[in-house]
Amino acid sequence: MTTPTRKIDAAGLPLTRRRALQGAGIAGLAAAFASLPFTRPARADDITLRWWSPQSAPAQLAAYKFQIAAFEAANPGVKVVFEPTSDETYPAQMAAAFASGQVPDIVTHIPSFSVASYYAKGLVEPFDDVIKAIGPEKYYEGANKTYEAGDGHFTGTGIGNTAADNLWVRKDLMAKASIDKIPETWDELRSAAQKMQGGGIYGVPLPFAKNSATSFVVTTLIHGAGGELFTPDLQVAIDSDATVNALEFYKSLRELAPPGATSYSWGEMITAFVSGATATGYYAGRVLVNVNKQNPAIADFITCAQYPTISDKVAKSTINDFPSVFIPKGTKNLETAKKFAAFLFVPDGYIKQLLAAPGHILPVLRTIAEDPAYTSDPIIKKYPKEVELMTVNAAKGYNMGFESPAHKPNTKSVDIIASDVLSEMVQRVTLNNENTKAVVGDTAKKLEAIMKS
Amino acid sequence: MTAVVSESPRTGLGPSLPRQYATIGMLLIAPTLLIFALVIAYPLVYAVYLSFFSIYTPTLKGGWVGLENYRVMLTSAEFWSALATTIVWTLGTLTLQVVLGVAMALLLNLNFYFRSLARSLVLFPYFVSTVVAVLVWRWMFNDVYGILNRALIVSGLSDMPLDWLGAMPNAMISVILVGAWKYFPFVVIAVLARLQTIPEALYEAARIDGAGAWSRFWDVTLPQLREVLLVIVLLRTIWDFKEFDLIYLLTGGGPVTSTETLPLLVYKQAFGMNSMGLASTYAIGIMLVLLVFMILYLRRARGDRGTAT
Repeated sequence: MTTPTRKIDAAGLPLTRRRALQGAGIAGLAAAFASLPFTRPARADDITLRWWSPQSAPAQLAAYKFQIAAFEAANPGVKVVFEPTSDETYPAQMAAAFASGQVPDIVTHIPSFSVASYYAKGLVEPFDDVIKAIGPEKYYEGANKTYEAGDGHFTGTGIGNTAADNLWVRKDLMAKASIDKIPETWDELRSAAQKMQGGGIYGVPLPFAKNSATSFVVTTLIHGAGGELFTPDLQVAIDSDATVNALEFYKSLRELAPPGATSYSWGEMITAFVSGATATGYYAGRVLVNVNKQNPAIADFITCAQYPTISDKVAKSTINDFPSVFIPKGTKNLETAKKFAAFLFVPDGYIKQLLAAPGHILPVLRTIAEDPAYTSDPIIKKYPKEVELMTVNAAKGYNMGFESPAHKPNTKSVDIIASDVLSEMVQRVTLNNENTKAVVGDTAKKLEAIMKS
Repeated sequence: MTAVVSESPRTGLGPSLPRQYATIGMLLIAPTLLIFALVIAYPLVYAVYLSFFSIYTPTLKGGWVGLENYRVMLTSAEFWSALATTIVWTLGTLTLQVVLGVAMALLLNLNFYFRSLARSLVLFPYFVSTVVAVLVWRWMFNDVYGILNRALIVSGLSDMPLDWLGAMPNAMISVILVGAWKYFPFVVIAVLARLQTIPEALYEAARIDGAGAWSRFWDVTLPQLREVLLVIVLLRTIWDFKEFDLIYLLTGGGPVTSTETLPLLVYKQAFGMNSMGLASTYAIGIMLVLLVFMILYLRRARGDRGTAT
């Protein structure tokens, strides 16, 4: 009897260890599995909205925080998480988000042409319900025209207007250089910049880098030379004398820009003017608040105008990137996202958001522009002429996706910006001194390839 | 006992012991295999698969193009230019890393006060996040406020600020310098470890033979460092060749495409041009180049193990 017992014991001992190991392993796996979020029973009100925006200055973040808190208070169980992106990186981030299926629930402040591009590829939810909830009668007339899609739906709506390419000048430096009027033509601008340059101050802060800022500037100049990127029916039209003139002018400004302008983007451009490192600026309305906060010594001397053109025969125009709000397709919280999108326009929060950078993001709702809470802002009151100028010009502005009222919406615009084809053209001419006509011809071919892709 | 042991021990009670051990072995190795399959094999196979398609990144939709992407890659001036840039960057930064690393390791191998502190501090660039390092360097390179331009002007070496990142060859030199600064501590760690194991008797013998400092370094130290330097060079070549964040954040590949290395080209194709298929093809191209270095490294490692046994 003892032998079999020992035999069983002897056989059973290692088995018990193994079983213990196996048991522990299984228990560990089970515990790990149980701790995974998807195994927890989801509460009906357990909703987290992800909100992306490239506009994330501290004052704007404070305004968003206010809007988020108000929305969360009114919608128990809903949490909104703000995630900043940037003007330079959002195309790549959006592409990755769409490709991975990890889209944010709501995106604001990216240009309208990007929204149109995404919508054309079936990546954006129609926005009609949100516009209806905001109240179409509150908008300025035609404010949503850039968001009309071919299928009769709206792709998004404007969260504001931005006059992106104003010429900013300092009247004190102009007076010192005996310049009696704000430059209106390229020759006048170059001459003024030359006169004001010196003593550590450069003439212009224009970028010569491979980025969206350079693409915007060259677009301003091509339009300012009487040219366009595309014909109204979207044939590539960049291979023109206007583009050659624009690039030659751009190149002539290189010696008037700081040496590091070869890597400037939006941030460096505004900092250069606000800090007093350049005599002129190219930027939207954020200059007003930044100068008043960061360099008040020049606050009484700044003003803006539309960017000069090649001659007074070419009408001036303004780039408005039409900062948008849209909801990417694939959001798991569509109805809540729509509710939040409409909530962004509730006066208290919307005005706070606009006044976080007064004059930079201009209201698209007539009712807000007339609201004393908006108009009584000290910056808006201090610079009424400049704000009015930007408001009027932005309203009739254009951008790469909507070059004129005669143009069809260009749904490839975000691809063009993301590809850096335009800024690379600028670098080849201004930095590499390549033949301008040849470079423009190459660029036209690249644009054609993108349009066909 | 013998009789008991010689009996078929588990008949009727379950699988044999060796089979159970094999099962447990497989269970234990399964997580490793699973992780390997998920994080290495799947992406690799998927990248190869994507390289045969023309795919629009945001939608991941597209059509079969066969070897067309490979034809485009091999005939594209952009690819060869990026490959040449990658080689220049890799050779430049690697050479500096090794020279600086060996020099610093020799210094840190000497006896001096605060040696431990110095050994800790020298690792700082390697451990600091690339984004932070690049932000600091960009600030130092800044034309208006940067300390480097300020120093050049104050010392009278230049009248005007230098364009460190936006003109050639400055941009490539700057990127190589920052890369060397960031990664030379790796060389220091590895070389210092080896230096501490070189027998003092070799130096004694060299001194007796009348060898000076330079001869001792050339004839004793360097041959002793040969093995470790070879491994360092192979590993750092692989890592530098596929460097992305440092170059992207410093220059974005510019001016024009002067500092656009292959990893930046992959990124541009994937997220700038939204051509995921072509980007995957470029990535496969990088992998094939790196495979050569990988094989060299593995052969080296295998050779070492062979020598050890």
